[in-house]
Amino acid sequence: MTIEETPAPAVDLARVQAEIAEEVRRRRATGDYPPGLERELDAMFARYAPASASDDFDDVLAFAETQSFIHADVPTASRRAPLAYVKRVLRTFMAWYVRFLAQQVTAFAGAITRAVSLLGRRVDALETATAVTPERALVRGDAGPDLAPWLQLVVGAVADAPGRVLHAEAGAGRLVQALADSGVDAYGIEPVEDTGLEAARAGLDIRTDDVLGHLRSVPDGVLGGVVLSGCIDRRPLGEVLALTDRAVAALAPGGLVVVLSAGPGAWARGLDPVVADLAPGRPLHPETWVHLLSVRGLAVDPVRAGPGRSGILEPVPDTTPGAAVLNANAERLERLLFGPGPYAVVAHRPR
Amino acid sequence: MVAVHQVLPVFAPRDAIGNHTVAVRRALQAMGLASEIIAGEVVAGAPGGARTTRHVHPGRLALAEPTVWLYHASTGSPVAEWWAELPGPKALDYHNISPPEVVGPWEPHVGVELEHGRRQLAGLAEVAGWALADSAYNEAELIGLGYRRTAVVPILLDTAHLADCAPDEALLGALMDRKAAEGGPDLLFVSRVLPHKGQHELVKALAAYRLAYGQPARLTLVGAVGSARYAGALTDFVDELGLGDAVTLTGSVDAAELAARFRAADVYVSASEHEGFGVPLLEAMAHGVPVVAYAAAAVPETVGDAAVLVADRSPAVLASAVHRVVGDEALRAQLAGAGRRRLAELGIGPSTHRLRDAVNRILADAGLTP
Repeated sequence: MTIEETPAPAVDLARVQAEIAEEVRRRRATGDYPPGLERELDAMFARYAPASASDDFDDVLAFAETQSFIHADVPTASRRAPLAYVKRVLRTFMAWYVRFLAQQVTAFAGAITRAVSLLGRRVDALETATAVTPERALVRGDAGPDLAPWLQLVVGAVADAPGRVLHAEAGAGRLVQALADSGVDAYGIEPVEDTGLEAARAGLDIRTDDVLGHLRSVPDGVLGGVVLSGCIDRRPLGEVLALTDRAVAALAPGGLVVVLSAGPGAWARGLDPVVADLAPGRPLHPETWVHLLSVRGLAVDPVRAGPGRSGILEPVPDTTPGAAVLNANAERLERLLFGPGPYAVVAHRPR
Repeated sequence: MVAVHQVLPVFAPRDAIGNHTVAVRRALQAMGLASEIIAGEVVAGAPGGARTTRHVHPGRLALAEPTVWLYHASTGSPVAEWWAELPGPKALDYHNISPPEVVGPWEPHVGVELEHGRRQLAGLAEVAGWALADSAYNEAELIGLGYRRTAVVPILLDTAHLADCAPDEALLGALMDRKAAEGGPDLLFVSRVLPHKGQHELVKALAAYRLAYGQPARLTLVGAVGSARYAGALTDFVDELGLGDAVTLTGSVDAAELAARFRAADVYVSASEHEGFGVPLLEAMAHGVPVVAYAAAAVPETVGDAAVLVADRSPAVLASAVHRVVGDEALRAQLAGAGRRRLAELGIGPSTHRLRDAVNRILADAGLTP
């Protein structure tokens, strides 16, 4: 073999990769890659995957229970008839010994799976008592957070995102729809099955999945953007931190995280009392998000406050004498009592 | 005479580690060292000259000549414990261990073995004075486990002759006839059929390609079945997608059939999430087949600039990457040229040179000279 001179590459591979990403985006937008294609293919293959490949505790335990019975009657089939006969004879002669061992191993495996099953029940009881079960963490208002005021901001922020944009949680897919309409290659994750399926039926690429579970399955450095809303307001703090870690890790260079939060005063000012009472987590202050994202190496834009006030204290009409002072005081009082209202934080991963 | 004897769990034919072991023995002998291959199990058909651990008296060997024991680690095995007990200095050659968390759910007993292998590898850090690794990716794992003296020595591979075997002409003719009749590209992947090798992701990509580009592409998956359960799921998945005619699982094939498969391929595509090195990637380059690969583990290091790497192995991304490579003549030509250069860089000459350097340092540390 002769080593050739190394000519300057005629084709820039980085440019080829960018063009492939653009081709994917374009074909997704035109429906050549139908919305939900990947979700359907994943779901189809998952049906053939063993239960033990699942992360679901009950599935894995059920698999362990089925595996805990050890067969003593080994197969004796063989392509060569005499060998099958020899195997049958051996099995007959060894049956007393093999059965004795198999019974002990089965008893041992059964004891272990029962112990694990009991442990699982105790963990269930503990989680129920401390209200951190995934089911409870899923509690939210029917409509999810109102993202209408943020659509323009998000669409503008992710317009040049270097890859697909994920919205978690996507709800009925309004933001994903807005992003798709503006030419952004976006998809959503929605943990509530009915909501996710409804959005998928409407032709949106919305997958029903646990947000953190999905982000854990996304390789590092592949997403152009991650929009976090809803889940970050009511999940336990540890899970919010894990979500933040994964969202940042999944970003491609130049990608961005957008946090849309209800604001720390949301529960106190009576926004969605059912969620407020049952959720294991609370919306964070904007300063906390700035801290969380900047310590993870992102460059954070100034926090954007949501439109309007939180609306508990009514402003006086401008025609009222001293209206400016009264309203400024009311706003200050409101902020002190109920914290800042909804806000958005946009943070960029350096290229 | 100083000896460097190699120890490995299984010495098998048509196996990358087996072939590497033979090449290492040849290189060691060329250095004036005595070298034997000792395996826990020698599979019928393996290249000659190997002994099993049952027929070796290590003390007698070590008494006969100052000996360094080189262990090839790729799974959990009692042979590692046998090696750890041997008298004299020891080195380890790490070929990576498949991720138990991916394999285990499909083949629980293999998962346990791999888990054991990972624990064993960590424990051997105190035993091995030196550790060699096929790639910087593997080396980083070793360093993370506490191995102090490490060196990268790529798999010893005669890359100049990877494509020398004559193809099975009858098969090649049939494959080319089919391509001419149906149109569309032939996609190829070569590896054991195991979940972390991602054959199911390639089936998804094929489905996405046929859907988006409306071409009757075909996918050939060459390789022995490493997980019967996974292979069964793969077959059922292919059937449910209605791709039974478009996807071929060949199982293990001989060199002539492999050559025919490479000659008929328009693109070699890998969605593997775990490769410690990736010999088939180099075979594809040797056959001039452009490579599209998911940029995971040691894959980027092995292919260099001779492949289109994708950061995401989603079906749409793989399908569009395949489409681009198939349809872009300039890109194909560039990849072919880059592939030839990469093969030269990873050829038997440079890799043997690195092995000799590493062995000399190992011997020097042990106070031995060839």
